[in-house]
Amino acid sequence: MKGAGPLGSIAAMLEISRITLRQLMGRRRTLLLVLLATLPVLLALVFRLGGQTDIQHFTRQSFDVVSMTILLPLVAILFGSGAFGAEIDEGTVVYLLAKPVPRWNVIAAKAMTAMIVSILLSGTSTAVAGFIVLAPAGNDGVLATEAQVLAMAVGSICYVSLFLALSLFTRRALVIGIGYMLVWEGALSVMLPGIANLSIRQYALGASAAIYQLPVEEARLSANTALILSAVLVVLTLAIATWRLMRFELPGGSD
Amino acid sequence: MTAGPAPEAAARVPTPPVSPTPPASAPAIVLDHAARWYGNVVAVNDVSFSLGPGVTGLLGPNGAGKTTVLHMLAGFLAPSAGEVRVLGRSPNRDPSVYRQIGLVPEREAVYPFLTGLDYVKFNARLQGMADPAGAARQAIARVGLDDAMDRPIGTYSKGMRQRVKVAGSLVHDPQVLLLDEPFNGMDPRQRIAMMDLLVELAEAGRTILFSSHILEEVERVGTEILVMVSGRLAASGDFRAIRALMTDRPHNITIRSSDDRRLAISLMADRSVFAVELTPGGLCVQTAQLAAFRRLIAVVSRAAGVSLFEVAPADESLESVFDYLVRR
Repeated sequence: MKGAGPLGSIAAMLEISRITLRQLMGRRRTLLLVLLATLPVLLALVFRLGGQTDIQHFTRQSFDVVSMTILLPLVAILFGSGAFGAEIDEGTVVYLLAKPVPRWNVIAAKAMTAMIVSILLSGTSTAVAGFIVLAPAGNDGVLATEAQVLAMAVGSICYVSLFLALSLFTRRALVIGIGYMLVWEGALSVMLPGIANLSIRQYALGASAAIYQLPVEEARLSANTALILSAVLVVLTLAIATWRLMRFELPGGSD
Repeated sequence: MTAGPAPEAAARVPTPPVSPTPPASAPAIVLDHAARWYGNVVAVNDVSFSLGPGVTGLLGPNGAGKTTVLHMLAGFLAPSAGEVRVLGRSPNRDPSVYRQIGLVPEREAVYPFLTGLDYVKFNARLQGMADPAGAARQAIARVGLDDAMDRPIGTYSKGMRQRVKVAGSLVHDPQVLLLDEPFNGMDPRQRIAMMDLLVELAEAGRTILFSSHILEEVERVGTEILVMVSGRLAASGDFRAIRALMTDRPHNITIRSSDDRRLAISLMADRSVFAVELTPGGLCVQTAQLAAFRRLIAVVSRAAGVSLFEVAPADESLESVFDYLVRR
């Protein structure tokens, strides 16, 4: 009856992904995130109706302020910390862990699901908004939009990895994430250029330069550096998450 | 079943070995001087026992350490000292051991958005089974949830949730089944059906350990029981022997009547009464035979012309029952 091996492994990961997807989609806050994702699109319509199709103006006034600073981190931190958070809070994580599934498979399935959902939400919003405003700007407009979507994708992957790992250490991962977003990336990274190497926002903006140099003043990392740092962050945080899950303990309870 | 050295104060009930473990085969579950503490709090202290095929009840009041023992066996808690082995392996940090373990946790939470069938299929897929749907249907049939299997678990009663958890835990036909308070929330009929299922699995050679804080739950299943009190193994052995110990113990009964003094004199005449104490709150009577005393009090009070206002057992909490066992 037992069919293990690589196929069994993939089937198990798909099953974990399906459960995670339903958990993430079933939450009320996801609806709020979808509403938030429509904001850049509405803003884009306002720009377009006002005759504003300038790449620099749109990138700085809408993409940077709304998509990059609010939408991306909020979506990715919520999905990243929620991928395990809900299971741990509700106690269903035991049904995942009492299975002969390697822990890294569990982490990979959960992380990939949260990443894909985050990229779809932030990326689609950014792509539609970019298309609305920048289509008349010709090839540069298309490249700028692609670069913005790439920034969303890289940012989503990094934020999800970091906050998924953090959610295995503390139940306050979401609060810490919002604090990180406001204090570290919102204030400190602007004031102290030296911490660009430790800012996911900078990784995302830097990576986008691989397609097009977006006119955002504070982009400080080259595309290569940003991509390498992103990869290091993802591998490191997911490895730590796997290590943590291997040592995951359930409380003895009141029994 | 064999139990390791119990603490001095504990009751050991010598019984013939009931578990059908073949002597040559290694026991499926072994706790060897296992202990677990959290900071200064000792949850489980120097517990040793080994179990082979059969059903064993892990009994004890709330906070006795039953869940900690089950979580150590399930690999979700590393022992702070001693050793825990399931099928010869250390369950902690070795996920492949879950091919042979089924776990029913105490917490009620099950994915509310899944149907019962989908939940059991989810378990089968994670176990890497070749035919998850077929195995899931079989497991669902075993717990008698066929009628409700297409409904979301969110609409289930507490008892149905327990049953679907059990179905999920045995879908891969594990050698070892660990169940934490599996009868919680079940009505008497469901309880009997579940107990019969556990016995059936045990007869098929599975090793089953379930926890309960309700003594009567064990009556039907557990020929073998382990009693835990305050993190220690207080007693182990045949259920009936331990049950007899509990029935023979003195019961305290509080009585309020129209004339406590006169009733006290009449009661003292009967052999089943050990002691009578007059207190401002009424009479405190000690007896060994609860049922006989209930018949006696009716007859005696009528003969003495005393009206009874209240007859209540004073110490029937489970804690006091277990506490009595420990003191023996």
